Amino acid sequence: MIDNTRRSRKHGARAAVISIFVFLLIWQAATTFTSLGILMPSPLISLSAFFKSFIVPIGPYPIFIHIYWSLVRVVPFYIVGAIAGIILGITMGWYKPVAAIFRPIFEILRPIPPIAWIPIAIVWFGIGEGSKWFLIFLAAFMNVTINSFAGARSTDPVLVGCSKMLGASDWQIFTTVVLPGSVPYIFAGLQVALSSSWATIVAAEMIRSSEGVGWIIISSQETNNSVNTLVGVVAIGIVGFILAVIMREVEAVLVKWTKRDI
Amino acid sequence: MDEARHMSKSIIVAQGISKTFTNKRGSTKVIENINLEVRENEFLCLVGPGQCGKTTAVNVLSGLEPASTGTVKINGKTITRPGPDRGFVFQSTALYPWLTVMGNVEYGPKVRGIKKSERREKAQYYINLVGLEGFEHSYPNQLSGGMQQRVGIARAYCNEPVVLFMDQPFGALDAQTRYLMQEEIIRIWETAKRTIVFVTNNIEEAIYLADRIVLLTNTPTQIKKEYKIDFPRPRDYTDPDFLALREEITNEMDKTL
Repeated sequence: MIDNTRRSRKHGARAAVISIFVFLLIWQAATTFTSLGILMPSPLISLSAFFKSFIVPIGPYPIFIHIYWSLVRVVPFYIVGAIAGIILGITMGWYKPVAAIFRPIFEILRPIPPIAWIPIAIVWFGIGEGSKWFLIFLAAFMNVTINSFAGARSTDPVLVGCSKMLGASDWQIFTTVVLPGSVPYIFAGLQVALSSSWATIVAAEMIRSSEGVGWIIISSQETNNSVNTLVGVVAIGIVGFILAVIMREVEAVLVKWTKRDI
Repeated sequence: MDEARHMSKSIIVAQGISKTFTNKRGSTKVIENINLEVRENEFLCLVGPGQCGKTTAVNVLSGLEPASTGTVKINGKTITRPGPDRGFVFQSTALYPWLTVMGNVEYGPKVRGIKKSERREKAQYYINLVGLEGFEHSYPNQLSGGMQQRVGIARAYCNEPVVLFMDQPFGALDAQTRYLMQEEIIRIWETAKRTIVFVTNNIEEAIYLADRIVLLTNTPTQIKKEYKIDFPRPRDYTDPDFLALREEITNEMDKTL
């Protein structure tokens, strides 16, 4: 079984390398042999600019410092949003009165994309870091809440009956059945929320900033430097991918009892 | 003798229990006026056809669901809700997938605040009793159906309840595993005597296991007939008396589509 997983992982990795390579090849061909090249830099130019940006700074910093600044904005407030979302989602899913109070409000707020809050965020928190943190918090909070809610709601009533029969109190049922049973859902939410929070960084750094991967994109737009735009896009993509992989590894360590395929 | 005196003591006394489910479309009476006494250390099988109220009956008897009318007393105490003086083995096994075998078996003593060394020792005893030594650290999804149900039995035993209720515990197992588990449950019961109320729709299984069979009717479920089984154990499925009784109960049982 373990062997199988390992083999399928190896196959998956090989398929990923091939698919990315083919994609880059088509992109290169399209920009070399068609007029698309006027509108868009080729992957060779973009990628070499990306790697060059580790040494040659874009604006004030080389790329990894920009990534660092963006992560400093995203990670802490992603965590705060996730924790708040887990608490609200689980209690809303398990305790009916809590759901009655919060769910209608939450359902109205949920479809609103974080960037729609930018004007209000600026009014509330100013154009400094506060408004950026707020947007990232929102992106994490919304996704984690809705998934944790679904997790608590999916609690198996037979397991609850079983726990009661074995002598568990209501609080013990909450901590030993509802909470662990929700964990796979919570992780699904954490995963989506991580991508969403990270993607929100572009919008957050649009507000006003002088560093970060979002800033690279915004400032490249102002100077009409499409190579730098792609450098920012590649950086967001790669970092987002690495974050997702880290998240999956954390899940694999914490949740040994589910065999969920990646 | 002591044994004989114990056998005569009633552990479960159910009087006039019925259960009606009500929803928007109306109400359905699932069980009606069941009167039942179960004696200490008796192995009682509730047998009924397909969709009759067997599960509802055992849920009410165990306190998992409240009765609409009537009372259930266990050891003289009226039962209204689930509690650790009773053990329940579910058809679906209902193991906690995030806990290991040990974690599942020690769950009852743990939530009741029994200290670690004591509950570990107890859990280990019952894990060994059901034949799962060496699998303490396995998760349920790593075990076969029969092994999972062994965990369910050990978990119910580990709280040392007065009565064990088993709702079609072998219903999902293949025929071969089912025969093996029937032998196993008798072995376990003979080692650690408890009062057992065992629900099944399989007449052969009931005759193999029970001291007494209570045959139930179709819904609304009532008691149709009782059979006392005194064939010596281990019983032989092919014994002429066994087969004759099987035939008799089969003819008596209500038919369902």
